[in-house]
Amino acid sequence: METTTKMLLKNKELPERAAALAESLAENGDAALFAIVGDMGLDGKYSKTALLFTAKKAVLYDEDLSEVREYLYEDMKEVRAKRMYGNATLSAKMKNGKREIFFRYTYGVAPLCDAAALFISHLNEGRSFREEYAIVSVAYERALSVCPKCGRPLLHPGAECIMCRSKKKVVKQLSKYVLPHTKTLIFCIFLSLFTTFMALIPPAITGFIVDAVFSEGTSTVPILGKIAAAFAGEPKKVLTAMILLLLSTYILQYGVGIIRAYLMRTVGNKTVAALRNDIYRKAQYLPMKFYDKTSTGSVINRISGDSATLQNFMLRITQEAVVHLFQLVGIVVIMISLNPSLTLLSLLPIPFVVFATRVFSKKMRPLYRRIWRRWTKVSSVMADTIPCIKVVKSFTGEERSTAVFEEKNRDWLNMELHLGKIVTAFPQIISFCVTCGSLIIWGVGGGKVIDGVGGYSAGLIVAFISYASMFYNPVTFFANLSDSFQSALASTEKILDILEAEPEPELPNSVTPDHFNGRIEFNHVSFSFDRIKKVLDDVTFTVEPGEVVGIVGTTGSGKSTLVNLLMRFYDGYSGEILVDGHNIKNFSLSPYRSQIGYVQQEPQMFSDTIFNNIAYSVPGATAEEVMAAADTANAHGFICRQPDGYDTVLGERGVGVSGGEKQRLSIARAVLMRPSILIFDEATAAVDSETEHLIQDAIDKLIEGKTTLMIAHRLSTLRRANRILVVDNGHIIENGTPEELMALKGKYYKLVQIQSMAAESERMRKEERF
Amino acid sequence: MSRIYLTKDDKIEKYENHLVKLTLAPDKGEAAGEIEGLEPRRLFPVSNPDSYITLLDREGRERAVIRSYADLDAASAALVKQSLEDYYLVPKILRIISKAEKYGTLRWTVETDRGIVSFDIRNRNHDIHVMRSGFVRVRDANDNRYVIEDCNKLDRHSYALLIADT
Repeated sequence: METTTKMLLKNKELPERAAALAESLAENGDAALFAIVGDMGLDGKYSKTALLFTAKKAVLYDEDLSEVREYLYEDMKEVRAKRMYGNATLSAKMKNGKREIFFRYTYGVAPLCDAAALFISHLNEGRSFREEYAIVSVAYERALSVCPKCGRPLLHPGAECIMCRSKKKVVKQLSKYVLPHTKTLIFCIFLSLFTTFMALIPPAITGFIVDAVFSEGTSTVPILGKIAAAFAGEPKKVLTAMILLLLSTYILQYGVGIIRAYLMRTVGNKTVAALRNDIYRKAQYLPMKFYDKTSTGSVINRISGDSATLQNFMLRITQEAVVHLFQLVGIVVIMISLNPSLTLLSLLPIPFVVFATRVFSKKMRPLYRRIWRRWTKVSSVMADTIPCIKVVKSFTGEERSTAVFEEKNRDWLNMELHLGKIVTAFPQIISFCVTCGSLIIWGVGGGKVIDGVGGYSAGLIVAFISYASMFYNPVTFFANLSDSFQSALASTEKILDILEAEPEPELPNSVTPDHFNGRIEFNHVSFSFDRIKKVLDDVTFTVEPGEVVGIVGTTGSGKSTLVNLLMRFYDGYSGEILVDGHNIKNFSLSPYRSQIGYVQQEPQMFSDTIFNNIAYSVPGATAEEVMAAADTANAHGFICRQPDGYDTVLGERGVGVSGGEKQRLSIARAVLMRPSILIFDEATAAVDSETEHLIQDAIDKLIEGKTTLMIAHRLSTLRRANRILVVDNGHIIENGTPEELMALKGKYYKLVQIQSMAAESERMRKEERF
Repeated sequence: MSRIYLTKDDKIEKYENHLVKLTLAPDKGEAAGEIEGLEPRRLFPVSNPDSYITLLDREGRERAVIRSYADLDAASAALVKQSLEDYYLVPKILRIISKAEKYGTLRWTVETDRGIVSFDIRNRNHDIHVMRSGFVRVRDANDNRYVIEDCNKLDRHSYALLIADT
């Protein structure tokens, strides 16, 4: 008995009393098979609940109820899981003939309750207990494969949640782009250190010139002291020597600077190219789900803009940080060795600078993100309206779309202006404080020189002022570092959003199909885009090899979703889809898709030659193969008559290719692939009847012996279909040969009636005219 | 209906202007016989001008295709070549004499194998195509075509003018 309660399927730990209940059920010989631990009472208030299912009954436990309620399956008819808004219910017609709600829950457990509802109804229909239990356990398996941290569903049970990966891995991901250039970068740092060192020399020399050349002093720097001694009494010669020394320092400093700048630029460009490649590649493999949520404008922006920002940060800024740190340390060391007390004085403003920087950066971070979002909105408006310019014009929306654009652009501008105030003021204020530091040196140090205090000379003050101003260079750099760091961080987030997004799922050890016979099975497939409304609800049907199946139904009934699921554009459905008896999720994605010829309602062409557009499905296809495909698609004729033949570039200067011609090109594209399964998604919906005839003829040639799914609005398109599926509201309501469905006098019959009536009246009107 | 590819047994003779008369040999089955007034047209005028030449009748229907000149007898091949020469006029640019720019439109004055000519190029991104091999296709504002067979062999002045816009 102990074991049976352990076998119990559950989505969460059972509440204590519910667990005891399960124990007692097991002891009574009717052990609970699965339990749904819910979160809401029947009154709609949150509560700990559990619904236990045995082979005979469902038992409801609710911590707010004193008693345990039992529902025998045999008393329940028409068990339904109904999704409402933010919550859902399980209900059934009970013995008294009234529909009673017996479980209320939030969406978290909705898939399990759907499975449970099916479980009860199927058992009542007398289906095999074992099979039904297996279906329920699949639902549990799916429900349990979510990330324990964030609750996002996982790709497959046990997979690592991408959102919750440690941030160290993020750094690792980015460092991948820098690592190939490690040697060059280290060399660059070396060069930078050298130039920094060179930059530290001149102030010492100028100080020396002031002390040893213009007056009779000497230098604290040993080498310079020796030079002064060697040329004692000949100040002009010393001056010349010093100028030559300065000149050679400058030559070295700036000469090496050129090499370094060149190397950095090369590395930077290489990095950004690699990063961009990866983002673009990744974007190609992202599932349709991602593009439903994200506007194409923002994806493009990430590829072009953000990668550059990030590259700038990863290379230039980090390098300069190292250099400036070195400069900082170098200067402090020199200053202390020259005069410790003056050094302390000139460092006085530092705490203020550091403090201000921290406050500043806290303020900046959200601002940069907001700017980025504003800018994305601006580019989204462009990406949306420019391609749809025809719609804009035909509904005289020019002013409206301009207004929308101006509004978004103004938002962006305001944000930038707001940010501009802070961004420009901050460094200036810092610099001001820093410059005030030099006043202190003049005041205190100068006073001591006048007083003739030992160790203070005019040269020392001059050198000190130079060092102090150089010192604040790195300080302001670090103050501004937060600025570039923030924008880089904002860009990083956007880029990782793509780089880390789950690509289209490819399970390990997936099968590579080379040919399908074309048997398609949908087993209890349910799908919902938003978890609220089910687009497909428990769809089950089988298509035999070679069948031509017409799918009809009103718009929004779920026809296209059927196809989208079969094409594996979306994977988050429950139930299974089999092709030739294999679950399609087990197939390797691209070989699988290349077995399916998919012709869309709106044929999409690239701005490339006709030849390349057709050969897109089979790269490397020969001219004759492409011509043969064009023949089948009834496209060769019009291609011949183009001045540039197959070399005609589409979309250039409005090259005259009509919608119907494009459709035939897209059919040729599908033909060339020699698919085993064909799908036409309203392929003739948007063309006139003569073109429809040509396309129909092309389709007829093509479908010979191949399993074909045809979604159609016009029933005339379906004259070749030997079976019709009528989809309504996510359900398959009719399934049979056209004759059978006509005899049934159901929905299909009605559709045929309506359309033939329309055709009839059309014909009569025409007859009247002639 | 499968496509008819011409072989050495088929004859092409001159009809009028650049149109030809085709005599299909008996091995072409039902299609065998004479067809007059066919217009040879290149199916790949840009990427592969010497292969896949289609013969269209007056209604623009394809009647036969020539895979390559080698499939024809010498006389037929020469005739087709001549006809295509007449149909496709694509001057070869030998030298770019001058270039001027106004409101984004380029005006080139060039010396071609057919003489000196000036033309406008509306969009330098779309209308000047430089292939990797050095072959350049140019299209002017009126949709006339020009080619530069190898831009690396142009004189320095012409090359500099060309390269500034690519």
